[in-house]
Amino acid sequence: MRRTHPALSAWAWLVYAFLYLPIVVVIVFSFNDSRFGATWAGFTTRWYGVLFARADVREAVAHTLEIALLSTVVSTILGTLVGLGLWRYTLRFRTGLTFLLVMPIVMPDVVMGVSLLMFYAFVRGLLERAGWTFDNGFWTVLLAHVTFQISYVALTVRSRLAGYGRDLEEAARDLGATGLRSFLHVVLPLATPGVLAGALLAFTLSLDDFVVTYFTSGSGFRTLPVLIYTNVKRGVTPDINALSALLVLVTVVAIIAANALLRPRRSAT
Amino acid sequence: MKRSLVLGLILLCGCYRVAKVPTTPTVSAPTPVSRGDGRTLRVFIWSEYIDPDIVTAFEKANGVKVILDTYESNEAMLAKLQGGGSEYDIAVPSNYVIQTMARAGLLQPLNKTWLPNLKNIGAGFLNAAYDPGNTYSVPYQYAATGLAFNRARYAPPTATWDLIFGPQDTLKFILLDDPREVVGAALKYLGFSANTTDVAQLRAARDLLRRTVAKRGFEGFDGGPGTRNKLLAKQIDLGQIYVGDLLIATEEDKNVQVELPQEGTTISMDTLVVLRRSPNPELAHRFINYILSAEVGAAISNYTYYATPNAAAQPLLDDFLKEVPALNPPAAWLTNGKLDFIGELPAGRPQRLYDRIWTELKSR
Repeated sequence: MRRTHPALSAWAWLVYAFLYLPIVVVIVFSFNDSRFGATWAGFTTRWYGVLFARADVREAVAHTLEIALLSTVVSTILGTLVGLGLWRYTLRFRTGLTFLLVMPIVMPDVVMGVSLLMFYAFVRGLLERAGWTFDNGFWTVLLAHVTFQISYVALTVRSRLAGYGRDLEEAARDLGATGLRSFLHVVLPLATPGVLAGALLAFTLSLDDFVVTYFTSGSGFRTLPVLIYTNVKRGVTPDINALSALLVLVTVVAIIAANALLRPRRSAT
Repeated sequence: MKRSLVLGLILLCGCYRVAKVPTTPTVSAPTPVSRGDGRTLRVFIWSEYIDPDIVTAFEKANGVKVILDTYESNEAMLAKLQGGGSEYDIAVPSNYVIQTMARAGLLQPLNKTWLPNLKNIGAGFLNAAYDPGNTYSVPYQYAATGLAFNRARYAPPTATWDLIFGPQDTLKFILLDDPREVVGAALKYLGFSANTTDVAQLRAARDLLRRTVAKRGFEGFDGGPGTRNKLLAKQIDLGQIYVGDLLIATEEDKNVQVELPQEGTTISMDTLVVLRRSPNPELAHRFINYILSAEVGAAISNYTYYATPNAAAQPLLDDFLKEVPALNPPAAWLTNGKLDFIGELPAGRPQRLYDRIWTELKSR
């Protein structure tokens, strides 16, 4: 193997330090015995105790995960179908459709959040006339997340398939496979890495979305990012550092597990 | 984050104007129909701004559930309410957005017969210019803006804006990241009103601020928590800060202190309002009346370390809070022009002047 130039590896380490030092600081300060975290006041684990005692945090974590998991499932199914459709069929308005898919990605979150908020208010107005009503909360947030996730899934699926023609599928049909079988055994396996990547993207996007969630959530329904960001006024409390440290831990474990699980499969495809 | 929310607000206002132009300010809002179940109260409030025990006690006493949702700026709160988000009963806006909210048709006039405890509020805080006759709002908690320092690092002989705006060039200081507070402080130092619309006075403030941010000791703009942390860490000598944001840190370090500058300063009041679309207006009033009681008013201040406008609550405050002069500015200051409520600016030229000064300062 070629040795890396020392200057280059020094630069690489610098970049890594730049990326990770802030996270290290947060973890270290989650053990800081100071309410304001400005100076080091001794080692403590009490913030973890405070954190676990907080019902609002537990609730927000539960909401965040529920929304993230459900919206990922829904948007992965819908997005995959869109991606496959765009790849497979020659549609009349293909450029226009692609444009519509890219829009939610490049559009600022805030435009999305505000338009959804107004859309819900409009729908509520219509329903109220019919004697029905609903409150913004779980379902409106879920719908909002699905709305922006579909684009990401569809685009990753489509670009995964972009290199393949329809010949493999046609070969399967020639050999007697039904439409469903050729889809399940040929097209879907080809698309799987794209689907997984899209699903992971969708999941992370949902986990840390603040702006769209803030506008579309109703009273009493809070996700973790909303809980944290709305604490800015009086300063984020140190138990949030403890929470961040735990999140980092969970993420690291998840990545290691995913690597271990995906490695054999990856060499097969 | 804040910027994107402000953008959202602007977008909303734009849409709002197109959608329905309110021809007249909704002074005589129609009597609201109670659409709620009378059992759930939804309050939209700043984070850590109410003692949770107080809320639990109210829930128990009335057999209701109180949902608290939080926001981090007046702009974010407004944006969500204007977009027709959830139907909250109560919100806690700062005084300078009340008229904006009223004009947008978001508020309903208070029913004073449901608020007998309004008598507990100190006379100086009633009938203020931001809401004459307390049509829409009752005072909740207020914060004067003070000058904070860490005695272990630097102890000023007297608290004066001169330490920041004067000729000295070596003290390290931070200004609040808030246009009205910064321009307001400069105006107070020059002896003008913090809400002035006089062009010459604003020019003088602009020139003063230009010189100030060019000083060697200027460490930038920051919010309350940031400035507080830098004072605790002894990184700076002085900071402009909301009194409450600093006082809470005295638990950790008795050396950090805050005083009101002798030239006078700005003050902003957070208020309780009932929203026009409140599903439970009667319950909302009952909650407000509960907060206006002496015991509850004191308990909230003992929790937040912000000042209470509730005169009856004063004797019940923790001794520590009673002793801090910055939390209890002399009553005369409210009437002699030393304390200026940050007020709403008339749209048009004055507004633009403030904006321009701020943009210039921030773009340095």
